[in-house]
Amino acid sequence: MDYKKLGEDVVKKALKYGAEEAEACFENVLEFSVNVRKGEVETLQKSVSKGLGLRLFINKQLGFSYTSDLTPDSLEDTIRKTVDLAKITEAKPWQGLPDFGPRALPDLNLYDPEIAGITDEKKIAIAREVEKIALAQDKRITNSEGGEYSNREREAGIFNSKGISYIFKETVCGFGASVIAGEGDNMQSGGWSSRKRFFKELAPVEEVAKRAAQRAVEKLGAKPVETKKVPVIFDRYAAPSFWMGVLSALNGDAVFRKTTFMTDMLEKEISSSLITIIDDPTRPRFVASVPFDGEGNVTRTNTIVDKGVLKMFFYDSQTARKAGVKINTMARRYGFQSGPMAGFLCIVVDNGHDDSASLFKDVKEGLLVTGMRGSGTDVTTGAFSVGCSGFWIVDGAKAFPVDGVTLGGTTLEVLKNIDKVANDIDMRSGMNSPSFRVAEITVGGKKA
Amino acid sequence: MLKLKMSYPLDRRTFLKKGIHAGAILASVPLWKFLAAKNPETLLAEEPDAALPLGQEEMKKLLEISLGRGGEFAELYFERTVENSISLDEDKVTSATRGLDMGVGFRVLQGEKTGYTFSGDLDFARLKEAAETAALIASGVVKATAEKFTPLTPPSYYLVKVPPDSVAAKAKVDLLVKANAAARAFDKRITQVGVGFGDTTKKILIANSEGLYVEDTQTLTSFGVGCAALEGSKRSRGYESKAGSFGFEHFDLSLAEEFGRKAAEMAIRTLPADDAPAGEFPIVVAKGYGGIFFHEAIGHSLEADGIRKKTSCFWEKLGQPIATPVVTLVDDGTYKGGWGAVDVDDEGYVGHNTVLIDKGKCAAFIQDKLNAKLMKMEQTGNGRRQSYQSYPIPRMTNTYMMPGESMPEDIIKSVAKGLYIVKIGGGNVEPTTGRFVFSVTEGYMIEGGAVKQPLKGIMLMGSGQDVLKNITMVGNDLLVIGGGTCGKDGQSKEVGFGNPTLLVSKITVGGKKA
Repeated sequence: MDYKKLGEDVVKKALKYGAEEAEACFENVLEFSVNVRKGEVETLQKSVSKGLGLRLFINKQLGFSYTSDLTPDSLEDTIRKTVDLAKITEAKPWQGLPDFGPRALPDLNLYDPEIAGITDEKKIAIAREVEKIALAQDKRITNSEGGEYSNREREAGIFNSKGISYIFKETVCGFGASVIAGEGDNMQSGGWSSRKRFFKELAPVEEVAKRAAQRAVEKLGAKPVETKKVPVIFDRYAAPSFWMGVLSALNGDAVFRKTTFMTDMLEKEISSSLITIIDDPTRPRFVASVPFDGEGNVTRTNTIVDKGVLKMFFYDSQTARKAGVKINTMARRYGFQSGPMAGFLCIVVDNGHDDSASLFKDVKEGLLVTGMRGSGTDVTTGAFSVGCSGFWIVDGAKAFPVDGVTLGGTTLEVLKNIDKVANDIDMRSGMNSPSFRVAEITVGGKKA
Repeated sequence: MLKLKMSYPLDRRTFLKKGIHAGAILASVPLWKFLAAKNPETLLAEEPDAALPLGQEEMKKLLEISLGRGGEFAELYFERTVENSISLDEDKVTSATRGLDMGVGFRVLQGEKTGYTFSGDLDFARLKEAAETAALIASGVVKATAEKFTPLTPPSYYLVKVPPDSVAAKAKVDLLVKANAAARAFDKRITQVGVGFGDTTKKILIANSEGLYVEDTQTLTSFGVGCAALEGSKRSRGYESKAGSFGFEHFDLSLAEEFGRKAAEMAIRTLPADDAPAGEFPIVVAKGYGGIFFHEAIGHSLEADGIRKKTSCFWEKLGQPIATPVVTLVDDGTYKGGWGAVDVDDEGYVGHNTVLIDKGKCAAFIQDKLNAKLMKMEQTGNGRRQSYQSYPIPRMTNTYMMPGESMPEDIIKSVAKGLYIVKIGGGNVEPTTGRFVFSVTEGYMIEGGAVKQPLKGIMLMGSGQDVLKNITMVGNDLLVIGGGTCGKDGQSKEVGFGNPTLLVSKITVGGKKA
């Protein structure tokens, strides 16, 4: 099917039925996934799904709808109803399509033609193998949550009445395992995975399996500690949770409404000067890269925090117009079922200069955080409070595993107290960070 | 993991696929009515084939194809969902949205294996392909499907007299406007008000190789108000909402006014909040939101998949004491009007009230068809799925603790120094260890048996096993509420929860003050 034509036709029809501006967002997704447990295939899923979201404006009034039914009659009905929906709402002067027009799309090389040709048997074998190796790593591993392999091929397009008509194809594949160590009241689960655009770039099965096993076993015997203030190291794989909270507070619309604690912080120091944060969705072949954003803007790199100084908030076209600022960041979109929103696409916290071992040096007593349950940041008040697990550090070395402890403070204090950043970033997803150390945080535990 | 809507209109970030029900209404009739029939109100009941362009013979054929490689069980799940939302923000009705999603899922079971495929394309040739692919999971002797379908007519637990999608948009706009005015009038320090009304109408049809044939219409309606207050550099939020399988008759202008005022009250009440303490404290949990505790910290660990695979901390606890004798916990799909109520679950098993913990003893697990069969136990009506794009898994409906005998005020009086927890924003648990965290959105200090100043940044942490052993007083004031979306295995699903006022004698509180 010619989806480019379908998208363009929907936009044309919307104009014909009374829209002043219109935008269609299209998606066609093929998915495969298999889960293996204790060597046996447990679930095997295959699917094709597609759909279209339509956003239109009449006299600065907004209507939005989506449909998974792309038959001509149903699409026609959707377009007419969306026009009706716009008429229910009230005008806001900033509502409308983005101001920019079409540009040349970069080829980020995000599609692996090889994936379509991989047999189900081979995919099942990978899921089986990663689980088998993980289970065999350590005799304290007692149970399995399974091994899995999945891949997805997606064709996505955006079309609007300002001449934008983009469509691109991408693939993602990945596998992993999750196993359980220990018994009775002392069970711990651990997992690891590898996800890439290209099948050939996936991590070796053995490496993923060993890591999954290690992450379960190393937590055995974890216990809480007493409440005290100590240095806290955020491991590079736990750190993304923390940054998610910080970045959530930078939404431009929340700033306009003064509902975030970051409201007055633009061009001010929000953290230690060791921290630089960029949004970079332009890396070729990378799993979190995309050629255009949620409203059809060609992607680029933005500096969010420069050596501790906050350089920008996140806006999409509408919130930027509302706040009276120039749109400088990227808009997100979560599939065809919703409209674009201010956000970020691929966050990279810059590497520091220290190797990860040196973060532990001169820590007499402290906490290494390897798992966070949530981001901890209350966007409204700036309070920081989160449950976590990890290791207690004594005299610069891991002493014993810790669980059931909380970290408490304010997000700005935590940011300003970052005193070391490692050079160990491992680019894995849309949120990437090196390990870093905070000079002091209240760790809440057993006794008051 | 459970998420609650706290801001209205919803932060679009939570606009997970079909995961939300805020927002609201469409002026015109929903599409399925449009396409069809003479008598739209009873469309599926009288003409089951009108929405799904397949006759019973074709469905039987598809089930035969699904079993064509030797599966033990095959099932066809058709769904057509219309989702509407309308919201008000910054004094204006700013958003009206509508969504349509439909498709058919095929599930084939053999032993512990599940094959699953779905198609959004209802063309018979595409459905046949999907059924053939689902069949591939199995191998062996081909089993016959039932000769004919036996229709099931379940009892109804939904409270829907006036279907919300049949109500004019103006009536919903009036609710939004009323709530907004009430919240803004409450206090000058209220700086932001958002109001949302949302409804989802999901028509499902389930047919399986054992001859089951059932249809259901699940209507979920929600209305909520969120406020932000600002004074100097102090910020706070307040919210109030109602969500359930309700018709529009459950929402009117006086409710809208009350909710607007209550949301504003909460924001103003919590504006002067102090930093929360860190350490171990007794807590009193007010009626309602404490149900999130039971959902997260206990309910998830009693789901049969984790029990069967021995990955849950409760896997060998059936019949054994796991809580103090004051604790009786149920999962109740028959709770009328509940956000998690089901006439039938998503595999066609009738809604059920299951006692999970009976006076402290572990009494049952949360079962779906697959796990119940493998464990040789009874199904409990908990086979639920997000949509036709997912296979059913065991998960909760409305989970709540039964009331006890204490007066709520006596429970507070019994605490010399501790915390009073009024609203919980959400949390998550690791079922293997039972460890959970919850973030508290409204909480206070208790000193000398009296509720004192508000606190911010309260985090509660512990393990389900420990909390169950530390519940020492239970009030006589049960409240069951809706509006929560639970996430498990990548599927989100609406769940209700509740509790009476209760005392947990000690729990770890994470705050700023050491």
